[in-house]
Amino acid sequence: MINSRILPLVRKEFIHIRRDPRSLIILFLMPLLMMFIFGYAINMDLKHIRIAICDLNKTPASRDLIETLRMSPYFNIVTYYNSPSKTESLFKNRLVRAAIIIPSSFDKTHVQSRFASIGVITDGTDANSATLVQNYLYGLFMEKSLSSATNGTPVSVKSRILYNPDMTSSHFIVPGLVALLLIMIGALLTSATITREKETGTMEQILVSPIRPYEVIVGKAIPYLVLSFSIAIFILFFGHIWFKVPMLGAWGYLLIFCIFYVFTALAIGLLISTVVNTQQVAMMMSLVMTMLPSVMLSGFIFPVASMPKPLQVVSQIIPATHFLKIIRGIMLKGNGPMEIWPSVAAMSAVGLFFILLAVKRFKLKLK
Amino acid sequence: MGKVFHLIKKELRQVLRDRNMLRVIFIVPMVQLLVLGYAITTDIKNLNILICDFDGSEISRDLIDRFSHTEYFILKNYPCSPGKIESHLFRGEAILALVIPQHFGRDLETLKQPDIQILLDGQNSNTSAVALGYCNRILLQFMQDTLEKKFARAPHLARSIHFIEPVTRAWYNPELKSVYYMIPGIISIILTIITMLLTSLAIVKEREIGTLEQLMVTPISSGQVIAGKTIPFAFLGFIEMSVAMTFGVLWFKIPITGSLPVLALLAATFILTTLGLGIFISTLVNTQQQALFMSWSFLVTFILLSGFFYPIENMPEWVQYITLINPLRYFIEILRELFLKGAGLNILWKELVALLSIGTFIFTMATLRFHKRTS
Repeated sequence: MINSRILPLVRKEFIHIRRDPRSLIILFLMPLLMMFIFGYAINMDLKHIRIAICDLNKTPASRDLIETLRMSPYFNIVTYYNSPSKTESLFKNRLVRAAIIIPSSFDKTHVQSRFASIGVITDGTDANSATLVQNYLYGLFMEKSLSSATNGTPVSVKSRILYNPDMTSSHFIVPGLVALLLIMIGALLTSATITREKETGTMEQILVSPIRPYEVIVGKAIPYLVLSFSIAIFILFFGHIWFKVPMLGAWGYLLIFCIFYVFTALAIGLLISTVVNTQQVAMMMSLVMTMLPSVMLSGFIFPVASMPKPLQVVSQIIPATHFLKIIRGIMLKGNGPMEIWPSVAAMSAVGLFFILLAVKRFKLKLK
Repeated sequence: MGKVFHLIKKELRQVLRDRNMLRVIFIVPMVQLLVLGYAITTDIKNLNILICDFDGSEISRDLIDRFSHTEYFILKNYPCSPGKIESHLFRGEAILALVIPQHFGRDLETLKQPDIQILLDGQNSNTSAVALGYCNRILLQFMQDTLEKKFARAPHLARSIHFIEPVTRAWYNPELKSVYYMIPGIISIILTIITMLLTSLAIVKEREIGTLEQLMVTPISSGQVIAGKTIPFAFLGFIEMSVAMTFGVLWFKIPITGSLPVLALLAATFILTTLGLGIFISTLVNTQQQALFMSWSFLVTFILLSGFFYPIENMPEWVQYITLINPLRYFIEILRELFLKGAGLNILWKELVALLSIGTFIFTMATLRFHKRTS
C-alpha cells in the first residue's frame, strides 16, 4: 500500500499540520476545556431547589411537614407566603421553581381520613427540572407516610450500584467525550484539508500527476489518523489521571477499536469533501453531521432506549452509538471482546459502509 | 452608506449562491428542531430490567406486574441463578436487576420485613438515579397497598398511618413537554452559529485569500467593512430565527405568549454580542480552520454553561459567576420566559441590561482590535 508516491504526500500533509501550531494547540486544548466543564460544572442532580411554601393550615401537623421539607437536601425554602393568589407573581419573577400549598383543612384530613392532599405547583418552563422536582416531592412524601407506620416499612429495600458506585458523572462523560471528539475532529480535518486543496486549485495539480486516487486518499488519511489518534490517547490519559476514570479492561483492545473508529470518522470527512467545494461549507457540514447526532442520538447523555422507535433505528447507523458501548464497557465495566462483540460488529459494519461509500464517491468525482 | 450597501449585497450573494451553504443554513436547522424535539425527552423510559423472582408466590407476581405495567421498564426474562445475576448487567443486557428473595410473600404476611435487593448499573449516573427513583416509587406504592390491605383486615392498626399525597400541577406547560423547553435553546444555538461563526469565517476567508487587504486600500473605512460583514449575517440570523419559530409554533404548537417586538429588540441585543465575538475571533486567528475551532470552543462553552441542559443553580458557585458573562444564558432565559410566560420588559430588563453591556463591551473591543490589525 505505502509506496514512494504516498510518502511525500504524507510528509507534505504533516508539514501543513506543523505549520499551523495555532490549530494544533486548539485541537488539544478544546478537549481539555470540555472535560473540565463536564467534570466540574455539570451535575445532573438537582439540589437546593428553590421553593415557596404557603401554609394555610398553621398547625403542628403542617409545621411538621414543612420541617421535613426544610431538612431535605433537595429543597431550599426561600419564602413563606399566606395567600395562594401570590403564587403567580413568584413564578413570574422567577423566585422559585415550585410552590407548595398546604390547604387549611390539612390537619383534619390528615388525622381523620388518613389521606391528606397538598398542592404542588411547579414552573413548567423548564420541563426537565419540573419533572425532577415532582419526583423528589413524591418520594419524600411517600417515605414520610410510610415511616409513620407501626412496625416499620413492610419491605426493606437494599440497593447496590455497580460499575460507577459513586455515580460520578465524569466517569460516564469522559469516555463519551472521546467518542464525540474523535468523530468530529476526524471528519472535520479530513474534509477541510481536501476542500482546501480544491479551493486553492492544488487538487487538480495533484490529480494530473501520476498519483492514483487511492494514493491521494491514503496520503491524506494517514496524517490525520495519527493526529486524531494522539488526541484520543491524550484525552484518555488525562481523564484517567485527572478525573480518575477507571480503566478496568485492557488498553490494547480499546486502542484497536479506537483506530477503527477513527477510520470511520475519516471516511465521513472524505464523503463530505466529495459533496462540497469550499472549506467553509465543509466545516459547517462536518459539525452538523457529526456533532449533533453524536451528542443527541448516540446515548452520549440521553439513553437510546427512551427515544421514539424511528430515532432508535437512526441511532444504529451513527458510529458513536456503538463506540460508546465499547469504550464505556471496556473502561467502566472491564468488558472484553466476549461481551462487546455485538457492538464491535455493528461498528465495523457501519464503518465499512462509510469507507466504501466515500472511496467510491471520491473516485467517481475525480473522473 | 452606499458602500456598505454594496458590501452587504456582495456578502449575501456569496453566501446564498452556494447551494450547500443554503442547505446547511436553512434545512439542517429544521431537521435539528424536528429530531431534537422528539429525541430529547428527559423522561427516561423503556429501560431493561431483570427481575429474579425466587419466591414465585402470588404477591411476588403482583410486584412484578407493577414493573411490567409502567412505561419506564421493559421486563427481561433471563434465567436467574443466585450467582449469575451480575453477569447480565456486565454484558449490558439490563441496567437494573431486582431480586425478590425466597419466602418473600410469606415473610411479608408475617411482618418479617423481607429484603428486596436492587442491583443497578451506575455508569450513566443521571439515568441510573432516575431509574432508581422510579423503582423506589413502585416499591413504595407496593408497600402502601400492602399496608392498606392489612388495615382492611385489622382496622385498629389503621389509625397509626397517615398518607400525604401531593397533587401536582405544572404551570405554563401543563403536560411538561420537553419540546417547549428545547426549542428556545435550539433557536439560540442556531442564531449563535449563524452570527458568530459565519461572521468570523467570512472575515478570515477574505484574509486568507488576500482580498481583505485589497478592501482596506480602497476608500472604504474599517467601520464600513465591519458593517458589511455583520449586517448580512444579522439579517440571515433574523430570518433563520423567524423560520425556526414559525416551525415551532406550527409543528410543535409551542405557544408564544409574549410580544414579538420585545422579542425582536432582545434578539437584536443578543446578536450584538455574538457578532462582536465573531469579529473578535477573526482578529485572533489566521485561517478559516482556526476560526472554526475557536468559534466552536466558544459555542460549546456557552451551551454547557447556559442552563440549556443543566440548571445553572446546580453548578459550583465559582462557575455560576462565570455564567454571568455568557450571553447565551440570558437569551435562552429570555426566550423561555417570553414564549411560555409572556414575560415583558418589566421582567426581562435585567437580561436586556446584561446583554447590552456585554454586547457593547465585546463589540467595541473587537472593532478596536480589528482596526489595529488591519491598519
